Amino acid sequence: MTIKEKHSTRRTVSKMSYEENKPKAFERNNSVESSYRVYDGEKVGICYSIGEIGDEEGFARAQADPERARPYPFMPEAGGQRKRDKSESTVTDRELMDVAGEYMKYLLEKYPQFTFSGNFTAERCRYTLTNDLGTDFEESDACFGAGLMFKHKGSRDIIDGNFGFNTRTLDDGTIFRTMADLYLGSYETMAEVPEEIVLCIQYYSLTETIANELDAETLALGTSRLTGKVGEKLFSEDFTLEHDVTDKETWFWKFWDGEGCVIEGDKLMLIENGVIRTGYSDKRVAKKYGVPHTRSAGRNYADLPFPGGLNLRIRRSEKTIRELLGGRSAIIPLNCTGSPMDSKGNMSMIINSSLLWDGERVVGRLPEFRVNMNFFDVLGKDYIGVGSDDSPFYNDKVILIKAYRV
Amino acid sequence: MGEKFHFPKDLYADIRIEEKYSVNLMKFNGELVNDRATQENGALIRVYDGKLWYTTSTNELDRLQEELDALAELAQPNPAIYDDPAIRLLEVNREERLLYEGDKLEDIARQRFTDVIDYYVEACIEDEMPEVNSWSVSAGGGYVRKSFYSSKGSEIVYDYQICAGGVWYTLGGNGEPMNCGKQLFGVTPEDLIGHESEILAERERYIDFLKNAVDVEPGEYTCVLSPITTAMFAHESFGHKSEADFMLNDPVLREEWTMGKKVGSDLVSICDSGDMPNHGYIPYDDEGTKARETWLIKDGVLTGRLHDSTSAAALTEELTGNCRAQDYRKRPVVRMTNTFMKGGTDSFEDIIADTKDGIYVYMVSDGTGSATFVMNATVCYRIRDGKICEPLRVHMLTGSVFQTLFDIDRVGSDFELFDSYTCGKMGQMVRVSAGGPSIRVRKLQVS
Repeated sequence: MTIKEKHSTRRTVSKMSYEENKPKAFERNNSVESSYRVYDGEKVGICYSIGEIGDEEGFARAQADPERARPYPFMPEAGGQRKRDKSESTVTDRELMDVAGEYMKYLLEKYPQFTFSGNFTAERCRYTLTNDLGTDFEESDACFGAGLMFKHKGSRDIIDGNFGFNTRTLDDGTIFRTMADLYLGSYETMAEVPEEIVLCIQYYSLTETIANELDAETLALGTSRLTGKVGEKLFSEDFTLEHDVTDKETWFWKFWDGEGCVIEGDKLMLIENGVIRTGYSDKRVAKKYGVPHTRSAGRNYADLPFPGGLNLRIRRSEKTIRELLGGRSAIIPLNCTGSPMDSKGNMSMIINSSLLWDGERVVGRLPEFRVNMNFFDVLGKDYIGVGSDDSPFYNDKVILIKAYRV
Repeated sequence: MGEKFHFPKDLYADIRIEEKYSVNLMKFNGELVNDRATQENGALIRVYDGKLWYTTSTNELDRLQEELDALAELAQPNPAIYDDPAIRLLEVNREERLLYEGDKLEDIARQRFTDVIDYYVEACIEDEMPEVNSWSVSAGGGYVRKSFYSSKGSEIVYDYQICAGGVWYTLGGNGEPMNCGKQLFGVTPEDLIGHESEILAERERYIDFLKNAVDVEPGEYTCVLSPITTAMFAHESFGHKSEADFMLNDPVLREEWTMGKKVGSDLVSICDSGDMPNHGYIPYDDEGTKARETWLIKDGVLTGRLHDSTSAAALTEELTGNCRAQDYRKRPVVRMTNTFMKGGTDSFEDIIADTKDGIYVYMVSDGTGSATFVMNATVCYRIRDGKICEPLRVHMLTGSVFQTLFDIDRVGSDFELFDSYTCGKMGQMVRVSAGGPSIRVRKLQVS
């Protein structure tokens, strides 16, 4: 018996771009991607298409490629029906151009000493998964985004910093103006690098690093820094990490994984109060290494799934960012480069420029300095927490960590 | 080729069509985990009215005329559009340059790629590899056929093909893993064959590094950069600053980049050229401009920068053929192609022998280039009394770009061009190559 399955993504993006303060382009992109899959319990035939090709042709092509029928000794999921639409509003092309013009006018009038380049974007996306076993999943989302690079007119660099945010509903401009004022209002005031370095940053690159270490296959092969440490308390009591696709925490993210699997309660605990609970796996890795199948497959429309597809969230503290700071100032990097971890987990970062924030106001801009960090310490003794509130610098959650000046 | 499209009156418009085919196979620890062949066709349409570019992308190549007409409706007709300084500069070229018709990727049998994988599994994967925790061997490639049509009359068709493979090992274990290996390039799968001795030597080098490397004492050092490190420095630390789209209305940057200004030692010459048969090959850019050689620095003197039509018009300079997009979904912007520092006359051995105390930077993973540039090192060695000594664990090399260009005092004859680069800018990734010789820099900050 063969089972047919179709994954698809339909995306619409409109973008208004500015270059050096001037409107440059209005872009519109529509795309449809589909993955037609035919399973027989031993192998899967796949047809990946970009653009519409029609279901009949898609499945026919998936079946007609015996040379590439990949070994896949699993059947697809009978997941039932579930639909989720997280979009809150639609931004028309006209509205996008008007809002972009309004925001740029604010910047150019209030901050004439800077030059701005960047994009204003309206994006809408719909993911679907259907198969012969009755699975019928759909997830939709839409957002408005602003991303601006700025350069001080007296600077010899080509970019001095950037800021931006995404939001599902356009507000009256408060988010944008607040953010612009934070980044630019005190930029010309120089401040001194404090003795104690507390970095206030978005945590996505950090969670990506942790994800690489928690892949069940790398754990099994000994190629992870966390091999042999599942069950051990390695990190701070306050550090809890989950894969989370609940309504609140998803952002253009599906509630199912690359193999159509859904996690009960939409959450998977990976690290709890500093203790590593489990690595993550897709069906192949779970079977091959005899580890729990955590329903964590990445999306791969053109080929076999792979372990991944994680929407990692660090559990927020009950304290606000300011409470976590406890009177200390935080550093918001504007231009920085970090080194990859070495084999011992050590990292360096050169912070070319940054802002010093005392929890209420920006004190000023800091000169270039360097810091050292260690992966295990960042999540351990140097972990301060993720505030219960969003940071106005990012309109998003942030992590506070300690680093050491060199 | 004949007229393919009816372009709108009183507007400039162009259409870029891309037909792409890619193949990727990979074995991981003996198991075939990737095996795909993907066809993707799409087009980007641009319309310009003198004030704003309007663009749309589509996969429906039989509806390009309708898409073009719909886009033109958004723009304001401008009878003087061809007097616009940027549009006036745009070249009219007509050429069909198809180089891969005989051995196009989509006509290459899958077996020729699996043969490459089997070859390297046989040559580079032993039953017992105590230091190796996992390995992968890959082979694949990409072919693209680009067509470009403009309302000024350009009709260009060209193609590009690359086959790529690699053998990769994850060494170590016990919580201290390290990746190493070698990427291979060619035009056909068979070009990838025959590099096993280099791969095995590289593996041995990294095993030795993992066993014996010591932490560097942070400080200022004389550094000898390997060709691949010089290539990254030329691209990341200098090349991006030569992209003119960030200096159009900026007096400070314009002054900083005055042509004829001495910006480095007499030994430094840096060039960009899209018309070389390497990873950054674009015989025509995405505005239809013919590729050419642009010397950015010659003998230490600033001599050029990279342009699209907008920046060239704004700075009243010539086009350089550097307007590129990641693919048909993206609007083109100023980008590098094949960028390299010219080789010199010193042998690598002489440079090392002439260095009493310093660091040899063998391999870096990535880099960035603000006024202070950063390169992340992976494998370095101490140099003492003209000899390469123990391996050093180094995180970062940093310095001022322009000071460093003046601090280059030896330039090797061992020039190499590397096709392993993909360059990111403004959310777009493009294929490039970067090159250079071994060089010595009098001082860099090392940590």
